[in-house]
Amino acid sequence: MEKYLDILEIAIYGSAVALILIGLYGALTKKSLIKIVLGLSIMDSGIHLMMIALGYLKGGTAPIFSKGFENSADQMVDPIPQALVLTAIVIGFGVTAVALSLVIRLYRHHDTLRIDEIKNLKW
Amino acid sequence: MVGSPVLFVAIPLLAAFLIPLMGMIWKEFVRIIPGLVLAYMLVLSVSLIIYIQSHGTIVEVISGWGPPVGINLVFSPFSGALTTLMTFLGLLVWLYSHKFKRNVDYEPAKKYFILLMLMVTGSVGMVLTGDLFNMFVFIEIVSISGYGLTSFFVRRDSAEAAFKFLLMGAFASSFLLIGIMIIYTQLGTLNMAEIAQRMPQMDYHMKVFSLIFILVAIGVEAETFPLNGWAPDVYTQAPGPISAAMSGIVVKAAVYANIRIIYTMYDLQGAYEYLLIIGLITFIVAETAALKQERLKRMLAYSSIGQMGLAMIAFGIGTKEGVYAALFLMFSHAIIKSLLFFSGSYLVYNKTSKYIKHVNGMGKYLPITAFLFTLGAFAIIGLPPFMGFWSKLALLSAAADSNLVILVAVILVVSIVEAVYYLRVVNRIFFFKKRANTKPEKPTINAMIAMLSLAAIVLVIGFYPDLVTGLIERAADDLMDKGRYIGEILSKN
Repeated sequence: MEKYLDILEIAIYGSAVALILIGLYGALTKKSLIKIVLGLSIMDSGIHLMMIALGYLKGGTAPIFSKGFENSADQMVDPIPQALVLTAIVIGFGVTAVALSLVIRLYRHHDTLRIDEIKNLKW
Repeated sequence: MVGSPVLFVAIPLLAAFLIPLMGMIWKEFVRIIPGLVLAYMLVLSVSLIIYIQSHGTIVEVISGWGPPVGINLVFSPFSGALTTLMTFLGLLVWLYSHKFKRNVDYEPAKKYFILLMLMVTGSVGMVLTGDLFNMFVFIEIVSISGYGLTSFFVRRDSAEAAFKFLLMGAFASSFLLIGIMIIYTQLGTLNMAEIAQRMPQMDYHMKVFSLIFILVAIGVEAETFPLNGWAPDVYTQAPGPISAAMSGIVVKAAVYANIRIIYTMYDLQGAYEYLLIIGLITFIVAETAALKQERLKRMLAYSSIGQMGLAMIAFGIGTKEGVYAALFLMFSHAIIKSLLFFSGSYLVYNKTSKYIKHVNGMGKYLPITAFLFTLGAFAIIGLPPFMGFWSKLALLSAAADSNLVILVAVILVVSIVEAVYYLRVVNRIFFFKKRANTKPEKPTINAMIAMLSLAAIVLVIGFYPDLVTGLIERAADDLMDKGRYIGEILSKN
């Protein structure tokens, strides 16, 4: 059990970092607008996973005072990162929605989704 | 106490979401409600400023959770002065755009005013909040409404500018989240006062690491040098009053966040030098870039970036005179640049490309607007007896007091560049012949009132700078006194 939890922790941190890097790569190198938005969204997910993992306590319980858990405050996982992530997910959703609607506008205006063909403004 | 700082966030947020409902009852409500709300906020913040002079800083605890745990709003002389400035500018932006799209359509005006209210909410919230994560949320409110407002005109290239802004803003918000996360894992708190108090315990490398992430993130909104690529495009493509609101309200809030983090939260050696150098680079690059611009609003955008660079230089000097000069610069820049954006938008009104050559000969057809633009141009260059003169003088004397003679020389030389490109436009307005394909557009009466009141402030403060210096000096004292800020908030527990 102990060993399983160790591996799980490494896996969570590893996948969080991997997601951030994949997202950065996608957002910075891809030419398609949709893929850029996807990259941003993946990077956000990675950061959210990282934040949850940071607040996690090995073998801890949910941060709720209930029957049988009255004196177990030191075994509870940190609730603040969870609250922050909830807010951050909503914000990320909003940004993605605005980005996709802008992509639609850009497509209608330029008839292309390639970012290197949209250069009416000086980049 | 006449009201509480919570109202600065709650009322505009409520109004923003009530606007579409009230619009169903009577369409004019959509245009009237924002003005009423902003006027109320202005009255409230002026009366709170008077209140805190005798009673000290107001720390508002939200929902009964004391400062280290819950969210708190701080109305100190510094944040109060900025709140007053922002609500005043918000009111003028509303006044200027009151008749906006009146003859065209109901739907765009509704969205415009909702987003404008959200933008003011976010900026005021950023200034008032005492919680780091709360600041992140407000920054996101400002950015998302900013994306929407930038892409407002469908026929221009506005979606492109907005997407560029969004790309940088999304990266910035991710970085800010990482920075906040590092601080939280190291110190276990998000309250800015408690972070400031416990900052010496933090590991040095983690400190530098988190500061870099946070500064990069906020630097995007604050238009610092390598991160300001969005600003010229956004200012060109957004509606005129929104350009004014961006440079006058949003960027001021971001600079506040930057300064609060460097001055209050961190105790790092070299952070002031960072501000000084990055401000100097921003100032020089932006002013020389402005010189070669062919579009009026793009030129104004680069000038706005340059002025923010000046404010950063002044903050980077690090003495009390420097902070005083920086706040004075922020104040005068907000007023003057709004005047320039307001009047400049009318000078190139009928052309979507907004080239500088379109202002040719407008002095004959739009005498008052052209005169106001000229007034703004003279003021921002720093000619006496306008407001810009006193702020630049304060900066130069602060630099001279700290023995930074080279800095004084560089600022003066770059100011000549600034004078050249502004006077070039003024020359075109008055001494060139009007181009055949440009059509002068008379400003509406509301826009005229907004511009005239800004011009009156520029002139009155130019002749009687004492009217505001006391206020700014108290704000500077407040910012420099880190121990008092921490004490005032944490004693509320």
